[in-house]
Amino acid sequence: MDLSFDLIINALIAGLLLGGFYAAVTIGVSISFGILDIVNIAHPAFIILGSYIAYIVNTRLGIDPIVISIVMLPAFYLLGAGVYQIYYEAFEKRGQESLRGLSFFFGLLFVTEVMLILIFGVDYRYVEAWYIGPSWRLGVMDFPLRMLVPCLAALALFAALELFLSRTFVGRAISAVAQDQLALQLMAADPIRIKRIAFGISIATTAVAGALLIIIQPVEPSVGREYIGRVFAICVLGGLGSLPGTVIGAMLLGVLESFTATFYGPSWAPAVAFGVLLLTLGFRPAGLLGR
Amino acid sequence: MRTRVFLLIAIAAAAVVFAAARAVSNDYVFFAGYTVLQFIVLATAWNILGGYTGYVNFGSAAFFALGAYSTVFLHKTYPLPIPVLIVIGGAVSGVVGLGMGYLTLRLRGAFFAIATLALAVVLQTLVVNWDYVGGSRGAYIIRPNEIALIGPYIQYLFLLMLALAVVALATARGIERSQLGYGFATIRDDELAAEASGVPTLRLKLVATTLSGALMGMAGAPFPYYIGYLQPSSAFGLEYAVNSIAMPMIGGTTSWIGPLIGAILLGTLQQVATVTISSAVNLLIVGLLLVDFVIIAPNGIVGLVKDRQAAFTTMAQPPVFSLLYILNLLPMYFLTGQGQAAQSIDVVFWAILLFVAYTRGGLIGRPWLVVFPAAGALLGVAPVSSTTPVIGTLAAATSLDVTAVVLAAITVIQLIGLVCGLAPKPRLAEAPAA
Repeated sequence: MDLSFDLIINALIAGLLLGGFYAAVTIGVSISFGILDIVNIAHPAFIILGSYIAYIVNTRLGIDPIVISIVMLPAFYLLGAGVYQIYYEAFEKRGQESLRGLSFFFGLLFVTEVMLILIFGVDYRYVEAWYIGPSWRLGVMDFPLRMLVPCLAALALFAALELFLSRTFVGRAISAVAQDQLALQLMAADPIRIKRIAFGISIATTAVAGALLIIIQPVEPSVGREYIGRVFAICVLGGLGSLPGTVIGAMLLGVLESFTATFYGPSWAPAVAFGVLLLTLGFRPAGLLGR
Repeated sequence: MRTRVFLLIAIAAAAVVFAAARAVSNDYVFFAGYTVLQFIVLATAWNILGGYTGYVNFGSAAFFALGAYSTVFLHKTYPLPIPVLIVIGGAVSGVVGLGMGYLTLRLRGAFFAIATLALAVVLQTLVVNWDYVGGSRGAYIIRPNEIALIGPYIQYLFLLMLALAVVALATARGIERSQLGYGFATIRDDELAAEASGVPTLRLKLVATTLSGALMGMAGAPFPYYIGYLQPSSAFGLEYAVNSIAMPMIGGTTSWIGPLIGAILLGTLQQVATVTISSAVNLLIVGLLLVDFVIIAPNGIVGLVKDRQAAFTTMAQPPVFSLLYILNLLPMYFLTGQGQAAQSIDVVFWAILLFVAYTRGGLIGRPWLVVFPAAGALLGVAPVSSTTPVIGTLAAATSLDVTAVVLAAITVIQLIGLVCGLAPKPRLAEAPAA
């Protein structure tokens, strides 16, 4: 094991960049699970769906994956709103969200994954863009653009959502819907409509996260499963419902994973998220910046 | 006393199953039967926690693999007879279940579900990195050909799994009728109220997690001997996680018979699908049925008759109707033109589509909605060749093969059906007369 300064500083940078990407993946769950209390374990499936859409359009038309994802935002928003409407009518209204609602999302995750396997096979797919490949060097520090661009895009997404949630009426209503539905109704806002909007936004972020994912690594349908543990670990670590907490948690996990991969080998990295999740649940269930 | 009677009946039934399987005198029956029995044990185990207390375990594969890998470990260290291995595998999984439960069950229910999801990933990482049990290369277990008294080894494994199924079902039924079962039910219905009335909820939940985990580990322990070559991706296969949830959900979660019915139905269906089509299609079928059942029949087949009203109110929602309609059309594209067995599976989904259209049609006053799936089913299932009047001409005119024309025709018909089911009525739809 070579504990040179270069290695450590580069592991740290790689971790922070990776963490930025994790923030984009988790921010949707932070809204659906953290604020709305909807345990959407199908979230990674939507991300993979976003990746495949980016892949198809990119290989056919050669458009930049991030541009594609921004164009896809409205479609994913509608998809999310539709899924929430189904979830609400079939489970939330009947008070069956804990057992059957969870199974419903599990089934959706599963059906999406198998459909993608049946259509595209289990081959790894990737996209082409100018920033995949080159990297910037600053002294000993190495910034691969393939990681830097997703990280910056993720931070932009975070900033936009944070502004939306804190500055607009609908955004504040979303924060309020988890706390007191009745009070929200008295403010002339329909809680179901607010939740539908919030869930739609949560799924809309997966369009971006999916495009970023396929920029960072080649994607095949079952890659999404690796992210289930990660997104919920980050969400819990950061504190449920806190977007800044999510970003900090994501960066922390990214750094931890990067160091584990550098010093113990990449095959151990998936176990880090679980360790973090269990430790957080065991010692500080409220998370870093929890409500 | 009645539990003892039940046990006797169960053993008698098991003896009949074994005698019948031997009468067929074909080893394939034992290989297929073992898988179905294994799913009975897994589904029953899942239901003890999921169905009785309402806590969802997504990590069935992890507990199953723990049992399988403790067998591999012991096989390399000190070979033991399989019944002993089953007990050890059960103990290992039970302890892990207890630990997981202790860390996560004190918090909100969702945390437990998430932790079990992550558990599978982590255990797989551990096993992949552990060379002693084969690592990512996998481990070979040489299965003896014969065993004393019974004969072929696969019959011995079958018999063990049969015994395990009896144990699992008797345990589940015993729990249902005991104080433990009532305690579990209070947790499922209202945990806060149960806690307030002095039910020791945490302790009960831990009992359920341990029992359920142990049974899953027991189901996994003989698996290396069954498969002969165990690799992490087969032991941690997603099919265990999804099947052990789907089977109780489809059969019904409130009593021991639900998982049994679900496992027999789905297990047999999958044996047919795996042999004749592909394992990916088979997983698609399970996933789709899971989604269908949690929406249409919240209490599974067992509660189907009682819950008709629930299906009606759900179907009143256009998004729910669209989702079910589109989802149940999907298998058709992978099953049409795949032979007899594929068609028999296709019929299941056409039946569900008919039910969806019938319910929606009755609700919005368009009973003729059933015509669309009925026409689709006829087209999809009827033997069609290039000499069939309309289809044959169309195929010749467009120079496509017949299956593609049939699929296109069905797609068009179903799209019209979907639009007719969604199009707003001139006046508002009235609620059905209860």
